[in-house]
Amino acid sequence: MGGLGGEALHTVFLIARREFLTRVRSRFFLIGTIVLLVLVAGYIVLQALVINRATTTVKVGFVGAAQTMAQPLRAAVTGGSVTVQTQVVQSVSSGEDQVRSGDLDVLISGDPTAPKVEFKDQLDPTVAAALDGLVKQVAFEQALVGSGVDPATIEAKVAAAGFQPVALDPNAAQRSQRIVVGIFVAALLFTALQLYGGFVASGVVEEKANRIVEIVLSTVRPRQLLFGKVVGIGLVGFVQLVLLGAVALVAVMKTQVISVSGVGVTAVLGGLLWFVLGFLFYALIYAAGASTVSRQEDLGAVSAPISFLIVGPYVAFFWVVANPDNPIGVALSMLPPFAPVMMPARMATGDAQAWQVVLAVLLMLAAISGMNALAARIYSNSVLRIGSRVRLAEAWRGRT
Amino acid sequence: MAAAGLELRGVRKTYGSLVAVNDLDMAVRPGEVFGFVGSNGAGKTTTMRIVLGTLIPDRGDVLWDGSPIGFEVRRRIGYMPEERGLYPKMRIGEQLMYLAELHGATRAAASGAVTRLLERFQLKERVRDELQKLSHGNQQRVQLAAALVFDPLMLVLDEPFAGLDPEALDSMSDVLRERAQSGIPVIFSSHQLDVVERICDRVGIIQKGRLVACGTIDELRGGGPKQIWVDAPAAPQGWTGTLRGARVVRSDGSRVLIELDASTDDQEVLRAALATGPVREFGPYLPSLLDVFREAMIESTDSVAS
Repeated sequence: MGGLGGEALHTVFLIARREFLTRVRSRFFLIGTIVLLVLVAGYIVLQALVINRATTTVKVGFVGAAQTMAQPLRAAVTGGSVTVQTQVVQSVSSGEDQVRSGDLDVLISGDPTAPKVEFKDQLDPTVAAALDGLVKQVAFEQALVGSGVDPATIEAKVAAAGFQPVALDPNAAQRSQRIVVGIFVAALLFTALQLYGGFVASGVVEEKANRIVEIVLSTVRPRQLLFGKVVGIGLVGFVQLVLLGAVALVAVMKTQVISVSGVGVTAVLGGLLWFVLGFLFYALIYAAGASTVSRQEDLGAVSAPISFLIVGPYVAFFWVVANPDNPIGVALSMLPPFAPVMMPARMATGDAQAWQVVLAVLLMLAAISGMNALAARIYSNSVLRIGSRVRLAEAWRGRT
Repeated sequence: MAAAGLELRGVRKTYGSLVAVNDLDMAVRPGEVFGFVGSNGAGKTTTMRIVLGTLIPDRGDVLWDGSPIGFEVRRRIGYMPEERGLYPKMRIGEQLMYLAELHGATRAAASGAVTRLLERFQLKERVRDELQKLSHGNQQRVQLAAALVFDPLMLVLDEPFAGLDPEALDSMSDVLRERAQSGIPVIFSSHQLDVVERICDRVGIIQKGRLVACGTIDELRGGGPKQIWVDAPAAPQGWTGTLRGARVVRSDGSRVLIELDASTDDQEVLRAALATGPVREFGPYLPSLLDVFREAMIESTDSVAS
């Protein structure tokens, strides 16, 4: 029995290897993968550029005594969308030339309590507000010294005073990032499951149309052919998604588009896990459906209803993500036909709880094993019947 | 009695009300080339698929060396389906390697067999070409190679000669004979009776799922009543009228074809002919396989009708 099992496994391996190598070596795969990787990396870099462009840098030149304001000004403007770059300028006239030519945005000269601030046509409001505060503070300190009070004690008291920040929705910004990632994951899985499921379907019909299935099935059991094909093609998709995930993670880390830590890794790992589970489930359905037709032209009628099964959860996800606590959405995301698209997306958005993920995986495994028995039976009964479409009831009952 | 080779006993297969194979008994011995002849829809392909195991019979047994054929034997049958089938976009070398390994050959054995076969079929330089880039004749050669590449225990070929040019036909029949001589049963179906006559040791004629005639070529051709061509140019019209247990079935100028009853001595016919003058030709006539085939068709149709 062990020998037979090993032999059968070897047969599945041979079939899977052929499926994998034929596809990976094809120009279509190579070009398709490169285009996909460039698109994803490009998209992430583009997002990063758009975000960076929102921060503006204001170049400020200081002349003479005004230089004492440089450090306090930089400190006052950090943390927002505006950053200040300071530099020392030799004379007012050369500084003014630089402002006119655009090398400097602002030129500050004269007494720090009443400096002269020159600019081309507009003064950045953030910088203006900061300068106003600085000048008033200098004037305030000088007034304190004039009235005989030690500014240090006053400053210590001022520094100690503060308000209590209470965020009512601390993750609001993070959540919007997570939702974008979640939708991205759902779209990717929806596309990948349909694409690679479609490859399985057309592979099954190709073998039927070429009649090679007759030769192969004279030496291999239908289940072995079915399983080898699903594994081989699934592996191609898996490799492509691993590459895609790795490139996306590197691009995200380099550009820091996503500020929420761990979202990228969760999205990639969850996506890969659910691709494997979802692909096994859907590929078996695609293979069983495809085995009932003999020509590529007839495949559309079989594939379309299966595609709806995958499109459905993708469309439903937009509602689920908008109503993360709705029990119907939570339940749907755990049920087999929906889970492969919805659960990894909910994992990425951070809405899925651990027990929900575990339950969804268990249900999915059960569904895969049930589908395996069903698909193998339909496939075995239909794949050698060349000609008109085999009706599902016939395929289930078996030999006529 | 356990006999070596392939044996079918009482095999029956129906599709609804259509009886595709009707209680068929036949045997093919190691070293034998067995030709399977019959019109379209007679049940040849169905019988072959039952042997291969891709169809399951309603009843009856397929035996190998006297015991029910199993998966391990079946997977080492070299099969060429009537509808040719290989992967069009796969390189022929890799394709043959793949099929050899699927049939249980080791990588080393498969690689050796691929090299030998491609050399034999003069396709060595095309080993890295996709199948679809080959001519029709060369694709046929690769198809045959696919059935041979794993050192099969038996060859089952459905219409292997269909669409071959005379040269390819010769090389195909050489290969079949060689394989049979190496000691395996070779069974093939064909419409081309001249080819069947030339290379088969035994022939089975199948009609409506029944084997209506089966035997060596000589047995089949000699199976009918004895017939003699006689050419006696000086003989008067109706000279055969006096012969007992003999009648003319055909005449061709001065030549007549005389059919004899089993009890009639052909030497009496010769003496009667010599009595009329010179005899230019006197010899037995064996019907061609085509005649035998037609005869068998008519007989079985009659028997079905009655």
